[in-house]
Amino acid sequence: MLALREIRRSLVRFGLLVAAIALLVFLILFQQALRDGLITSFVGGIRNQSAPVLVYNVDALNALQASSISPDLERKISQAEGVGRTARVGERTFTAMVDGGDTQDASVIGTDDRQLFHPTELSKGRRPSARAEAVGSDADFAVGDKVEIVPAEGGGSVTITVVGVAEDIQLSVTPTLFTDLETFGDAVRAANPDVTEVPPNAIAVAPENGASPESVVAAINASSPDADALTRADAAASSPGVAQVTRSFQVIFLLYGLVVPLVTGLFFLILTLQKAPSLTLLRAVGARKAVLVRSLLTQVVLIVGLGLVIGVALFFPLSQSRVGGLPLGFSSAAVISWSVLLLFLALISAVASLRRVLRIDPIQATRGGGVR
Amino acid sequence: MRLAVTELLRRPGRFVLAGVVLTLISLLLMLLGGLLDGLIASSTGAYRAQPGDLISYSSRSENSLVRSRITASDRSVVSQTPGVQAVGGLGSIQLGARPGDDPKSRDPFATVLFGYELAPRGLPATPPAQGSVYADDVLAGDGVAVGDTLLLGPQRSPVKVRGFVTDTRYAGQASLWGSLATWRAVTTENRPGQTPGDTVQALIVETGASPPATVAQTIDEATDGRTTTLTVTRATQELPGVAQQTATFNQIIGVTVLVALVVVALFFALITVERTAQYGLLKAIGASGFTLFGGLIAQAIAVTLVAAAIGVGAAVVFAAVLPPGAIPFQATPARLAGNVGLMLLASVFGCAFSLRRVLRIDPASAIGS
Repeated sequence: MLALREIRRSLVRFGLLVAAIALLVFLILFQQALRDGLITSFVGGIRNQSAPVLVYNVDALNALQASSISPDLERKISQAEGVGRTARVGERTFTAMVDGGDTQDASVIGTDDRQLFHPTELSKGRRPSARAEAVGSDADFAVGDKVEIVPAEGGGSVTITVVGVAEDIQLSVTPTLFTDLETFGDAVRAANPDVTEVPPNAIAVAPENGASPESVVAAINASSPDADALTRADAAASSPGVAQVTRSFQVIFLLYGLVVPLVTGLFFLILTLQKAPSLTLLRAVGARKAVLVRSLLTQVVLIVGLGLVIGVALFFPLSQSRVGGLPLGFSSAAVISWSVLLLFLALISAVASLRRVLRIDPIQATRGGGVR
Repeated sequence: MRLAVTELLRRPGRFVLAGVVLTLISLLLMLLGGLLDGLIASSTGAYRAQPGDLISYSSRSENSLVRSRITASDRSVVSQTPGVQAVGGLGSIQLGARPGDDPKSRDPFATVLFGYELAPRGLPATPPAQGSVYADDVLAGDGVAVGDTLLLGPQRSPVKVRGFVTDTRYAGQASLWGSLATWRAVTTENRPGQTPGDTVQALIVETGASPPATVAQTIDEATDGRTTTLTVTRATQELPGVAQQTATFNQIIGVTVLVALVVVALFFALITVERTAQYGLLKAIGASGFTLFGGLIAQAIAVTLVAAAIGVGAAVVFAAVLPPGAIPFQATPARLAGNVGLMLLASVFGCAFSLRRVLRIDPASAIGS
């Protein structure tokens, strides 16, 4: 076949284009995985917990740790229309040691309800049934781990036992433990013995039967100017940094999305111009336009397809690792959607070359011209 | 060389498409670099502005300012450590800030109130009186002016803005700088049960002529390991996310430069093939292979410079028109120049792919063409 024979005879040229596309595909997939990993590590603990509604103090600007709920605000929240069960939620980052090892950061989340604000699914182990038991992020903890909160001078000893682990429940890219509120309070006092009071950081809310999370959010926000109620999805999406990360990556993806078809389009256009005399001759000896068009499109699909395969192959081993502490992942949906999009854009980019091919006049073969 | 320049001037259309691709890559590089610098600047400004050489945390805080607590007795020990010239306490609290005339606003500014003793860059040597602060000029973009009152936290603790200071953001938030007394009062009001008392979160240490690294070690020995003392530079690098962001973005920038290299290689390999007959003729009349290759490099550099210039211009404009807080982006001369340098390197190395082909062209081929 004409298309394949040409590729075989110009391996360096076509190889360079494949390399460029493969690198771009690798970059796009890597950055998509990085963005997803970053967002999941930032807010997985909020996104994958059981409370449909979260209420912060409006001053916290949607940062769980910066929020503080006063008794008066808590009362107003629990009295709002449509509010069913509520739970107090506390969250801090502590210095911790796992099984006596090196010190590391650990985010501890405590609630006074066995159902609200707990991981929705466990990947291993069981749910806590006693004080100082916890479910940990499975990227950082194993069932049976003993996590000691490193106390400040004069602070008491607090050890939390990991009885279950769950996927994607980190907060702020930190190893995370979900435990009871008493244990959380003990940890706060261990880290700072001067603390005399540990107010909750947020209130987790389950709407009563028949009420939607959205209506409960509206009712709570109307009950106090200090209440900032959000649905679970909104709380995750509006956490500090998430919107900025999403916007930044969108701009980057847009630019990469433009580079791929431009590189492909440029390559095939130059190639078509270079081949103009040969293409004219082919037309003069009877080759139909469809044959030349098919040949061009075959090359575009083959080259871009090969670039996609190599790019995905380069990305796959990286997706199984962690980058800067962030777990990456291989998303088949992302690979398929990017592949389809890039192939489509590459075919669109070949339009300029196609127009040139279609405009070839066989009579030019007798005059030494080709493409006009 | 003159031939290459003449071709560029007379047939610029031939290089437009390659220029567009390189411009996009240049934009990507400038954007990635600007994002990295913006993220780092918005996280580390408060530390980079510190006047001292060292920062002492409590050793069990994992170098986290929020978790660190230095007692008055440890401060006294640090002050008396040989090599220590001056010591100042530092405290911080992250709170929402509302305009004084809108205490019920549901859209407060994200701020960090710092209490200081040793004046950071741009601040008066004596901290302002209790209840007064200097604000990072990011807040000026939000409409805050000198003389305004800001209401901090759930308790709406009032502080008056005395002036502005530049490049002192912390953790992506605007900073407010007041005395330790202001920090203690605001913390006590807004964080019930967490009164700082006579503690501070960290100590800023000036070492004068003594080597900072040695003094840091002496301080930690003097406090029997109750402190961890770092140089300000190291403490800045150890701020949450800084090292990870830098490493990740640098990897992405590296691969993007590689893409630029491949694109240049691809484009000029195609041009070389197209000009084989022309090069054969030029060789036949005495031009050397290296002269022709020099022309190719000159064209690559010219196209790259145009693309890079557009990228630089776009980055500068982008930084200027971006609304404050929309995307952390900073266009620094060093970053822009570095990116231009990387693109030029990529274009020269990309051209090298065509070197063999240019040298291999046989002048005799000109006879047949």
